[in-house]
Amino acid sequence: MGNWTEQQKNPLTDRSLEVCDLIELEGVPISLELEDNTTFLERMFSDSSDFVLRKFQLKNSVHAIAIFVDGLISTNEVNEALKTLMVLEDGSDQIGVIEEALLPVSQISRVQDYKGLLQAVLSGDTGIIVEGNREALTLGIRGADTRSVNEPEGEAVVRGPREGFIENIRTNTSMVRRKLKTPRLKMKSLVVGRKSNTNIVVAFLDGVANSELVDEVTHRISRIEIDAVLESGYVESLIQDNEYSPFPQVMYTERPDTVAAALLEGRVAIFVDGSPMVLLVPTTFWMMLQASEDYYERFQMATVVRWLRYMFLLISLMTPALYVAVTTFHQHMLPTTLLLSIAAAREAIPFPAIVEALIMEIAFEALREAGVRLPKTVGQAVSILGALVVGQAAVEAGIVSAPMVIVVSITGIASFTVPHFNAAITIRLLRFPLMIIASLLGIYGILIGLLVIVGHMASLRSFGIPYLSPVAPMSVGDLKDVLIRAPWTELENRPSFLGVEQARRIGPEFLQKYHRAEEESQNKEAKERERYDE
Amino acid sequence: MMNNRRNRKGLTRYCLLVSIVSILLSGCWDRREVNDIAIVIAMSVDKEEDGKYRLGVQIPLVSSMGSLSGGGGGTSGNESFYVDSAVGKTLHEARAILQTRMSRILYFAHYRVVVIGSEVARSGFSKPFDIISRYPENRLTSYVVMTKGKAIDLLNAHPHFERFSGEAIRELIKAVTIPVSIKDMAQMNITPGIDTFLPVFDPVNTQPKGDSKEIEGTGFAVFRGDKLIKIYKRSEVAGIRWFQSYFNPFSFVIEMDDSGPISAMVLKGHAVVKPMIRQGRIHFDIQLYASVFIPETLSPLDFNDKSTFNEVERRLAEKITKKVDFILNESKKHRVDPTGLGLTFAKRYPKLWEQKYKKRWEKELPHITFQIHSNVQVTNIGQTTNSLMKEGL
Repeated sequence: MGNWTEQQKNPLTDRSLEVCDLIELEGVPISLELEDNTTFLERMFSDSSDFVLRKFQLKNSVHAIAIFVDGLISTNEVNEALKTLMVLEDGSDQIGVIEEALLPVSQISRVQDYKGLLQAVLSGDTGIIVEGNREALTLGIRGADTRSVNEPEGEAVVRGPREGFIENIRTNTSMVRRKLKTPRLKMKSLVVGRKSNTNIVVAFLDGVANSELVDEVTHRISRIEIDAVLESGYVESLIQDNEYSPFPQVMYTERPDTVAAALLEGRVAIFVDGSPMVLLVPTTFWMMLQASEDYYERFQMATVVRWLRYMFLLISLMTPALYVAVTTFHQHMLPTTLLLSIAAAREAIPFPAIVEALIMEIAFEALREAGVRLPKTVGQAVSILGALVVGQAAVEAGIVSAPMVIVVSITGIASFTVPHFNAAITIRLLRFPLMIIASLLGIYGILIGLLVIVGHMASLRSFGIPYLSPVAPMSVGDLKDVLIRAPWTELENRPSFLGVEQARRIGPEFLQKYHRAEEESQNKEAKERERYDE
Repeated sequence: MMNNRRNRKGLTRYCLLVSIVSILLSGCWDRREVNDIAIVIAMSVDKEEDGKYRLGVQIPLVSSMGSLSGGGGGTSGNESFYVDSAVGKTLHEARAILQTRMSRILYFAHYRVVVIGSEVARSGFSKPFDIISRYPENRLTSYVVMTKGKAIDLLNAHPHFERFSGEAIRELIKAVTIPVSIKDMAQMNITPGIDTFLPVFDPVNTQPKGDSKEIEGTGFAVFRGDKLIKIYKRSEVAGIRWFQSYFNPFSFVIEMDDSGPISAMVLKGHAVVKPMIRQGRIHFDIQLYASVFIPETLSPLDFNDKSTFNEVERRLAEKITKKVDFILNESKKHRVDPTGLGLTFAKRYPKLWEQKYKKRWEKELPHITFQIHSNVQVTNIGQTTNSLMKEGL
């Protein structure tokens, strides 16, 4: 970007450049003397066994070098390219001519400085420097091994596409491009990380997404200064609005269809190379409780499932706290027979209810954590052990009461109904302070706790959008995709709270025709019935 | 930016401090674990000869109720509850005395039945029930019953079906009598134009030669104000059921001239009471409606015969009229009004009631007149139309 002719550094004299990050090579020119370039590169990549510097001559005996990283390129295709230069084509030593006339490689570009060259080469391109040229060529012949596209494990569906993102950013963007074949789909490329130089793509639908939002996202990402970005989580944490909130303000997904849907709603997607998780902003709390399948299934079912999730979210958050509060403060709230059952079960328990609850909840969390980290083969053994030890034995030994085990189990199951893992963790986390405050102040305490949580959520913002919208602030028209999942004919406009620039998503004429057709078929039926009656 | 971060740190520290302190200083919180409370599930109130009150409580022994934990132990035999009582000038004093021999805090928020003894009923139940409106651990929805002897004897009975006699009384109240909760009792007591009645339960031996005490709903007690007037047998005052908002099914037997008895079960019933002024006297025109099921008959009557059927219905109506007639005549005789005729009158003639009768309803009662008309419908005579045991189907 900078004016590189002004602050020219000489790679041959400035020895500090031999140990440096790419960003410091900004504006360092490629030398006209091939020998200089070779020395510089060899010194820079000393002790780099995967770096290959291949010297060769063009057919007209001009010296040139090809540089690439072994393992990141497709060897056969690089051979083909070199063959063309060395054997077949006889012509110019001008880089422009070589690019345009000689090399039959589809992805090819010219770079002026070492930063551009090495950035491309270290990402998997092949660089070619020809004697007497100030510019170098990069050939996009990549061939690194990547995982194949698999079913997304974190967000499985019964109905819907079965492809999930992988670690390769190009594959990922292509999956979304395949769903949205429109020139409006823009993918801005950014590079973040001094050492990792991670490619980041900001995708949005031009003319749909609010342009201020796009600018804000790009701005926040481009100002990041960090040495490496290994996962999209780094980016998430560096661009979110409130770092200290337990609530995730950036949603991630590994489903291309979810990304496409979010883009269509006017959101912005952030692809991070090396991560199969794509970030979506702005995020609202309700997104965390919606699964892509909601939109593929019949709307009645989707509505019921959504309410089930809302219900179990509350259960997951409050059941242990309520149990502790009711059994230690508000025994009058229970039906007599239930109270007697609980009293009978708790008769021999040495601990107060809160201690019992903490023991069980912590044991359950530990069990779950162990289950996630362990190899799958061992996982089963752990779950059996956990079920036996924590469940049965603890009850039989009289350390934990049976109702408590039920409470913990329900809580556990309930927390799995939240479709997005990062929201589920938040709920799991908030359960503990609620339990403790319930043991001190009873239901009054739970209410205080809930007020604090709701108040905090209402104050959160994700890229300028209130976290609880469209419920708070209320945007009545958008509630039909939160409180229920309205049928598609009713979801004719994009969510308005995102400030989208093009509101409609279903053509008004189609809707008219659709409703007319419906009416007509009903009329026809009625007429037939009349005729039948006669 | 830096300032903001420092503020945040300060806030976090402050919150941490507050929460740690609140946990450490929590010695005097008012929490109580379920295994620190003695749950009173039934209560009895008796009046002793010296004018003091005896408070009896029935408490389940949760440890012997059989839980998975199995432990607990240490309780006597298979008893699932025990009953204890104490005497005090007030009920709360009695409670305090009781508490001194209990290792767990008496917890009154779960009693489901209050039994009052006959002595309390005779001398007035208002005084001992004062505590109900003051003490927070009380339930207005729990039922009140009266017993002829000492109330505590009813708690000491050992009904076989339920684990606690309190539970048995509660189930019985709902099944065979007209339930009266504390709230209902208070309402009947303070509303002019209706008088209190309570179901009466007594401990009885199992028949014919029983060794254990079961609990039986034996009748109804009628009060004027808060004082007992008369106890009726259950069958005598069945007519009162027609005047309740919820009709509890019951059965009775009619005799057809010489053909044999017929059992009848009244499934649904309600009364339409029309008060009017006739020759300066209050007159009530009472329409009774009942739908009846015939579960059993020992008579050879053929119910398929229209005229027989009508005759049976007529007889049923007669019997029902008689039942209601009895209770209303008793009302006039004893100057008590458990059916709430005064209330019906007050709703129809509010001004007249307010000016003339409200204060002296009890004196006016013997002078009222009434006319009863019963409409009975036999809706069900069983699976087959005639007895299987007889020829000529």
